[in-house]
Amino acid sequence: MLSRVLLALSLVPALALALCQPDGQDAYKVRLSIKTALGANAYEWNESEQFLFRATLAFAMRKYTGQETFNVSSVIVCDETPRVSFWFVVKNPNDTATLIPKNAVEEAIRLSRNRINSAFLLSDKTLQFLGIPPTLAPPSQPSLPVWLIVFGVVMGIVTTGILALIISGFIQRKKKEKTIEDEDEEEKQERIMENGISCETLEGKDGVNNGAYSHDEDRLTQL
Amino acid sequence: MVEESRPSWENPMQFVLACVSYAVGLGNVWRFPYLCQMHGGGGFLIPYLIMLVVEGLPLFYLELAIGQRMRQGSIGAWSAINPYMGGVGIASVVVSIFLAVYYNVINAWAFWYLFHSFQGTLPWAECPLSSNFTTYVPECEKSSSTDYFWYRETLNISSSIEDHGGIQMGQALCLVLSWMVVYLCVLRGTESTGKVVYFTATFPYLVMIIYLIRGVTLHGALNGLKYMFTPKLSDLADPKAWIDAATQILFSLGLGCGSLIAFASYNHHNNNFEKQAIVVSLINSATSIFASLVTFSIYGFKATFNYESCLDRTQLLLINTFDLAEDSIKNNNLDDWISHLNASFPDKFATISSQIEGCDLESELDTAVEGTGLAFIVYSEAIKNMGLSQLWSVLYFSMLLMLGIGSMLGNVAAIITPLRDSAFLTRHFRKETLIGMMCLFCCLVGLSFTTRSGNYWFTIFNDYAATFSLLFIVLIEIITVCYVYGLKKFEKDIEVMIGHRPHWYWKIIWSVISPVLIIGLFIFYIADYIMGGTPTYQAWDSNLGKTVTKEHPPFAQAVIGLLLVTSMMCVPLVALITFIKKKKEQARESKISTTAS
Repeated sequence: MLSRVLLALSLVPALALALCQPDGQDAYKVRLSIKTALGANAYEWNESEQFLFRATLAFAMRKYTGQETFNVSSVIVCDETPRVSFWFVVKNPNDTATLIPKNAVEEAIRLSRNRINSAFLLSDKTLQFLGIPPTLAPPSQPSLPVWLIVFGVVMGIVTTGILALIISGFIQRKKKEKTIEDEDEEEKQERIMENGISCETLEGKDGVNNGAYSHDEDRLTQL
Repeated sequence: MVEESRPSWENPMQFVLACVSYAVGLGNVWRFPYLCQMHGGGGFLIPYLIMLVVEGLPLFYLELAIGQRMRQGSIGAWSAINPYMGGVGIASVVVSIFLAVYYNVINAWAFWYLFHSFQGTLPWAECPLSSNFTTYVPECEKSSSTDYFWYRETLNISSSIEDHGGIQMGQALCLVLSWMVVYLCVLRGTESTGKVVYFTATFPYLVMIIYLIRGVTLHGALNGLKYMFTPKLSDLADPKAWIDAATQILFSLGLGCGSLIAFASYNHHNNNFEKQAIVVSLINSATSIFASLVTFSIYGFKATFNYESCLDRTQLLLINTFDLAEDSIKNNNLDDWISHLNASFPDKFATISSQIEGCDLESELDTAVEGTGLAFIVYSEAIKNMGLSQLWSVLYFSMLLMLGIGSMLGNVAAIITPLRDSAFLTRHFRKETLIGMMCLFCCLVGLSFTTRSGNYWFTIFNDYAATFSLLFIVLIEIITVCYVYGLKKFEKDIEVMIGHRPHWYWKIIWSVISPVLIIGLFIFYIADYIMGGTPTYQAWDSNLGKTVTKEHPPFAQAVIGLLLVTSMMCVPLVALITFIKKKKEQARESKISTTAS
């Protein structure tokens, strides 16, 4: 009796190992990059961490299928490497000889990906399930692209500037025309002309130093 | 009869800043560092400085003297020098129109990048996701996120120059904005331009200083600086280095376009332009060298970053394939590991051997880029890896904008000043209307550069519109002043203006050395063109994610020919027309005198 029990017991892990095969049809490879993710705070990967992994995966299966029959023993791990990578399969809790098909496992993992990542303080990039691409977060698209807003502001400023300059130039010209119209005929004749340039436009400008005639600028006084 | 006196700069400082703002442009930032890299690093400074003294300075002096003496834009000035040579002025204006049309597109791109910098993550930092959110867009993965943003999201470039595509709305809007900004600055003539150049001339220096401080503190910047400053003097034996130095000086100072003549025409008659010419030319060259310091530290940073990423990727590949512990392979024992793994597991190694990229810092540094590729791809790639990238991005693209707008002001002045000199146009149109119509015209033509194949046309204009023609114009300018107008007469004019005759050094350069140099450059360009075969261009292939070389189709070659011919033909054409007019006048006069007697 005892020998038969012993035989049965020894067969179980053997069976389990037989179910979990690298490159198996329903097996997934997992790769963890703990040191990359956590640097100095990296934890050691040991049996307990492995236990947590199997428990988390069981949780994911429970959540996905809604059956509360999944247990830590349903998840079998094999081919662990120093990389911290391994293969795992999920046994059907109702029929321990068969495995849960690949798609179901994939969907379950997809559903609870965030929870699985957080349990290990890792992210989609550092806790990789080879064959399950991470669902990348869609970028937030504001209703109006930001650049249009900035463009609108700058365009508004420039347009205001142009209009201001044009209108002020227009007003200046009107004022000048008015002062010219208001002059009498007499005054027109009296306006002094110097080389064809009215003295009015020269008003306010200081005399120009003709460098050809003087090297010592202090001697000349300003007109 | 009231005559408005010619508008003038409020003080000589405005004139100097306007010249600096015009001369210091994008070429200093994106062409000079490239030439440095191609021609032996620090050693390139030797031909560059020699050409500055022998060719750049004297020609700059010449143009300022003409402008200040004639007090007219390029058309009027050259017609006054000699009626047969009025065509030189017209040629300058034609080249300036070509320049104005395509150059403002760069400002449009700078605006586009600037506006896109105001986001949480810079849009060129990450590849966009494909529609099912599981992978990145394939075109982006094959090239890089910065390449993708430039070629696809900014330009939406087509695969060849024949494929026109439609006008890209974003680009068109930015181009309209750029032209409105230019219009705002030149609207009131020197009154407004004089104030704007205070800002456009000084702001780029502020940004470059900030970038220099940041740049040299970046990880890996010293690699780039070392690379630049180790002179490879053997490269100086290559005549191409000297030719590139000569052309760079010529184009960097903006000679031949008529802008300097236009700016100088607003000067006081006795403004000491000799000192100012020397100052501006030296500032221009110093800025080029300064900009290459910044660029090479950025290069060094980017190359080191890429090199270390490459090493990291190789490491990851090896530890993933061979399931080794995470920290077993370090950068310094990578090669040992590779040989060890290759020897121990040859089969497994063979499966990944195609993916192992040889990581080489030298080859990363060797990738020399110029032009829009440097400004919009390389720099933005470096910026996305710096901390606080939005701030650096805003600073950098604002600087590009200031440089570009400063140069545009010069270009536009070169067109507007001769137009305003024409009595006919001034009588019928107000100043604002005339300038506005010109800006509108250039903007509408420029919209063709915002189509999907626009960047290919841009490259054609960039390479052909203002290179060969400018050489020709400058050559005719020198020969006209020295031999047609007369060097003695020119000397006297300068003496009247600034009080002393030009040193004999200038005279020798003007009459002998510069013409010989420019004729040499001319011959080289022609030979290069003839031997080069069909002109080619770099087309972006979206399937491969990189550029491929294609030949220009016949209509594009026709446009190239047209660009070259339209400006150069003005000179002999106007000479011919003036000759015919004079003959007719002479015939009429002799008829009158015979009938009178």
